[in-house]
This record gives sequence, structure tokens and C-alpha cells, in this order.
Amino acid sequence: MRLAELQARMQRALLDGGSPAELLALFADPADQRECRLAVHRNNVRHALISVLEAAFPVVQQLISAECFTATALAFIAVQPPRQPALYAYGEALPAFLAGFKPLTKLPWLADVARLEWARNEALFAAEQEPLAAEELAAVPAGDLPGLRLTLHPSARLLESAWPIHTIWAAHQPDGDPLETVNLEQGEIARIWRREGSVCQQAISPGEFTLLTAFAAGQPLAEAAGSALAQDPGLNLPAILAALLSGGVLVRDLAGKDKPCCSH
Amino acid sequence: MTRNRAAIPFRAGVGLRHPHLPDFLAAPQPAAWLEIHSENYLAPGGPRLTALERLRRDYPLSCHGVGLSLGSAEGLDKAHLRRLRAFYDRLAPGLVSEHLAWSTAPSWAFLADLLPLPYTREALDVVAANVDHAQEALGRRLLVENPSTYLRFQEADWDEAGFLSELARRTGCGLLLDVNNLHVSAANHGGDPRAALDQMPLAAVEEIHIAGHARVATPAGELLIDDHGSEVAEPVWALLTATLERAGPKPVLVEWDTNIPALPVLLAEARRADARLREACDASG
Repeated sequence: MRLAELQARMQRALLDGGSPAELLALFADPADQRECRLAVHRNNVRHALISVLEAAFPVVQQLISAECFTATALAFIAVQPPRQPALYAYGEALPAFLAGFKPLTKLPWLADVARLEWARNEALFAAEQEPLAAEELAAVPAGDLPGLRLTLHPSARLLESAWPIHTIWAAHQPDGDPLETVNLEQGEIARIWRREGSVCQQAISPGEFTLLTAFAAGQPLAEAAGSALAQDPGLNLPAILAALLSGGVLVRDLAGKDKPCCSH
Repeated sequence: MTRNRAAIPFRAGVGLRHPHLPDFLAAPQPAAWLEIHSENYLAPGGPRLTALERLRRDYPLSCHGVGLSLGSAEGLDKAHLRRLRAFYDRLAPGLVSEHLAWSTAPSWAFLADLLPLPYTREALDVVAANVDHAQEALGRRLLVENPSTYLRFQEADWDEAGFLSELARRTGCGLLLDVNNLHVSAANHGGDPRAALDQMPLAAVEEIHIAGHARVATPAGELLIDDHGSEVAEPVWALLTATLERAGPKPVLVEWDTNIPALPVLLAEARRADARLREACDASG
């Protein structure tokens, strides 16, 4: 058998779980041992990939139990194995898989909790960039402020959900308060970012979400502030900006800075 | 900027694993050199990469790839090669190694395991072409590691040592001789590890690995599983001594990847390997 054909068959046997006779017939080991020896590799594959998913989705695992997580992960691995050898990127498709996974449809918020955990994973491995410090912003001449373009740190992610994803996530942390009750009707927006090597997470207001989305879209400061205030006239913009700066969430939009940005 | 750090010394190094990063960052540790799994550090950024770049200044570094899949019949993943090239250019490791195995199958599913190859002429052509491609794309000589195996194929034109000898001859690659794998494979196939050792292309050996393995009862009888989850077994220490006697002193790496112990336990294994290396140095004058 050609090597490519052998590898295709072995891949199917390892991912799908079968041990077809025509594959087993290729092995030189005693016939009654072949299946068991192939199972060593099947266990290796499963163990390695399940471990990666467990590390990226610890709260999903708590929410559905370890046993159920393993079964779900196996179903996912069989249809969406990793496409590249760097496994820090494996699991991106799990939230969408969960959303369509029949046995879990009674937990409609699960996929969004998984999206939150994937955003945390992305934040952990995103590129480095020095955040914008409050002093740097203070040094910008007042006349330049309205046209200044700020944007989000490469690690920052915003996640808007119809479910209280931040509250659910926080309650499942080692130091979190267990939830007595949670209002599942109350949607939340989470801001996730990395600061000094650690992933941080905070629930934010719709006004701040509008502001940050506008920054990310390349709107200059005055325009972004206008969008946010239109969304929520009571928004305390100076306090929000101060918190974003001290948290290290923002960077200067270098791409935007050099553009002839102000048309007036 | 490329830092051209000293080559890997003929001493015992340890595999750098995430749970030990805080120990290494907090204080200098008595490790002669470090080896990493390259694929664990290919993300754009983050604390692990930052830690590695810091440790790189203080320790000679070897990079051990676990995902290139030199045995893939479809050839190598060019995007992955480019990522590795950029990573190696930045870190300037003293040694770069991969495995005689495959992990990536048609349609590019990465199976996260080191899967066995039939030692046939076709497979030798495939692996030799892939090693040539990798050495050219990475701009470095590769060391290729002998695998731990659980399965053998009926079709075979060589045994493993013969296959590796041909591969080294055709591509000029070096050999990373994993002494634990030699022991595990021999036990799993009823062979003699010393006889296998004598057949290996020992002149090509540039690095040696040792690690623990598990003994597992299965319906197929006892199998040794290369789990890197315990101390190095006594027969493997003896095989290390035999290897050093034949190949001469080489860098020796202690690997521990599952049930990872506190760092002092790993460093104690490295001290033990260093003692074997000193004996080998004395013997070779």
C-alpha cells in the first residue's frame, strides 16, 4: 500500500475509532495484538487533544461535568481535528460546534461561555505591544485630542452576549462566589485583555462597548465619544477613559496616526 | 537580532516545561542547557514566549520540533516551516531536532502524536525528501530522533537502525538518539536494545534523550509506553552508559512531560546523567 493511502486510513482509524481489518492486516505484530497496539496511538491522540481543549475551556468543563466534556470533545475532535501543529490555536471552532451539538441544546448559554473562554485564550497568546499610558495621553496637545485615534491592545477582545457570561464565568473561578441565582435574561458584555502577562476580564456597559467598538473601527476620539454618548447620554467618559488607560487596554493607532485623518 | 549563543555543551540538560517557568524566572537553576518543544512557543506573544526569550539569554537552548511530520507522504506544511524558520532565526538554538514519525495526514489534520512509518524504500524517499526540504527551508542541519514504537509493518526493506543510517547518509542529517525509545521499542517488539544500538549510525549522533516510561498490562501482554512520566528506568541508565561508551560524550537531555514533578526532582535526574557523562569522558580520555 502506498504511504499516502496508509496514512489516510490510519488517520481515519485514529479519529473515528474503528480498527478496520484491512489496516490491521498491514501490521507485523501478532494478529491478536494489533488492535490493542493501535489503541496506544488512539489514546495518545485523544489524550493530547482533549488536554488542549480542557486547558482552553475549563469553565465549560465545569458546567457540563468532566465526563460530558470528554464525550463532547471526542465528538468535536472527530469532525474538526487540528489543522496546524501549533495547538495554542486549537479550539477556536469549539464554541460554534457546541451551539449546534444536539445533546447540549438545553444549555443555550454554553456556546457563549465557550466564546468567552476562547477570547481569553486568544488574549493570552496575542502579540505584545506597550499600552498607552495616561501620561502619554496627557502630553497630547488639547487641539489634537479630537482627531486622535486610539485603538485596542492586540490582546483585547469584546464579547457581547444575550446571556450573563461574565457572571457565569466568574462564579466558576477558584475564588469565585458560587451563584445562588442568576438572571439568565440579563445579557452581558465582557472586555478581555492581557496585562503584564495575565488575562483580565471585566463586564462593561453598552456605552463603553460602543466607545471601544468605535475605537477598534478607527474612529477618532471625538467621533467615538459622540457615538458612545448617543448610545448612553449619561456615560461618564472621563472615568471610563481613565480606567481603560490605567488598565492598559488602549494603544495609539499608529496606522491611523500617519493618515491625513482630519478632513476639515 | 540574532544572539549566537554557545553550542549545547556535553552536559545534561532538562526539557523546559511550563510548570517550571516560575522557578527558572525566579532564580538561576543548575541546568546546563534547556530544550523546548518548538510548537509550544509559536504564538505571536504572551507570557510563555516572554519567559523563553528571557531564559534564552542565560541558558544554551535546543529546539525540539514535535509537529513537522517528516514522515508525511504529502510533504511538509510550508506555512509551518516558515513559522519555525522565523522562530529559530530569532532564538538561534544550538540544536534543532525532529522525529522519524508522521503526525499530519492527508487534508492536513494534525494528530498530535508521533505515528510509526513502514521502513520501506518509498518511505525512505519520502522522509529523505522531507528532511532535505526542512534543512533547506530552516537553513540548519536537523537531528532526527528514533521513535518509540508499538506497531511494526509487514512491509519493510530495513529495520529502524538501517533506515536511519540510510537517511543520515542521504540527507546529512544528524541523529538524536533517544535511549529510552530504543529500550521501549525493543521491549515492545521482543528485540535486543544493545543489538539495535550497535546498528545505529552512531557517528551521526549529536544529542541523546532519556526519559521515563510506563509499563502497562494490556490484552496484548505488557507494553512499555513512552509517557515521559517518571524517573528514568534502571535498564535505560545502563543503556545510556553503553551508548556513551560507543558514541562518546554528547549532550544528554532529561525529558519529563506528564506527572511533571517539582523542578529539583528533574534536576536530580540531570545530575545523575551528568555523572554518567563524566564517567564516559574519563573513559574516552
